[in-house]
Amino acid sequence: MAQFKDLDPVLHSQLRLAIMSLLIGVEMAEFTYLKDQTGATSGNLSIQITKLKEAGYIEVTKKFRNNYPLTLCRITPRGKQKFTEYVKALKDYLNPEKQ
Amino acid sequence: MENEEKLMTGEESLKIITDMINKTKVNISQGSFHLLFWGWLIFFCSLAEYLLWKLTDYATPWLVWLLVIPGVFVSLIYGFVKGRKEVVYTYATSIYIWTWMAFLFAAIVLFIVVWENMQFVAPFILILAAMASFISGIIIKFRPLIIGAITFWIFALVAHFTGPSISPLTVPAAMLTGYLIPGYILKYRKNHGSI
Repeated sequence: MAQFKDLDPVLHSQLRLAIMSLLIGVEMAEFTYLKDQTGATSGNLSIQITKLKEAGYIEVTKKFRNNYPLTLCRITPRGKQKFTEYVKALKDYLNPEKQ
Repeated sequence: MENEEKLMTGEESLKIITDMINKTKVNISQGSFHLLFWGWLIFFCSLAEYLLWKLTDYATPWLVWLLVIPGVFVSLIYGFVKGRKEVVYTYATSIYIWTWMAFLFAAIVLFIVVWENMQFVAPFILILAAMASFISGIIIKFRPLIIGAITFWIFALVAHFTGPSISPLTVPAAMLTGYLIPGYILKYRKNHGSI
């Protein structure tokens, strides 16, 4: 049976989990889209995106569009794998009788 | 979203995942209505035109196609009214809608261009509709719509290479394979929660 502590600490945080859950369903997403969907502040979102990037869960590309900076985030294969493992561990934790 | 360091329960984690994934999900709740509505409307118009041309002396059987004009308004109003009630509205849904709007604009231009030669319009309209169906099928990951689009292209070729006695029947046949069959499958899956 999975223990609560087994859940990946990188993903087991409200905002980082929300970012990953959004990115798992799209090819890539702009920073503003993630901000709108999560309702997070720009500062907090930036910090969490950096943490996910440093963990290798997402790729961040910075561009310019019409002279305005554009930050694009995309989930990496490692991020997909970790997210899948997290969901599985969560299911095991929530439904221990099925183990 | 609250402070990221707040301790989450397993249920809260699951709720975040579900909520966020639902935000990125393509909303296809209206999909089957439009496929079935247009499938039956075009099926009726094309077959009626063919039968009027074949069995009567009626001089302008193509007039049945005027039914398409109120059809456009029905579809737009339905989409607008339903769309306002949607809780989730994703970029993918937006692309889906604008793909069909682009088809509508292209079809209007096409009808203006070929106005004097309406008997040749069938392959062209099928080619355009196929492109919209194909893209829609890819967006919503719905294989029957993709296959339906391919049958549109096949029927467009059939319409081009066969004589006038057969080519008018390619449109109603294409409606069956491209709109009606995928439409009913989509409706069934939606009702049974399998898409």
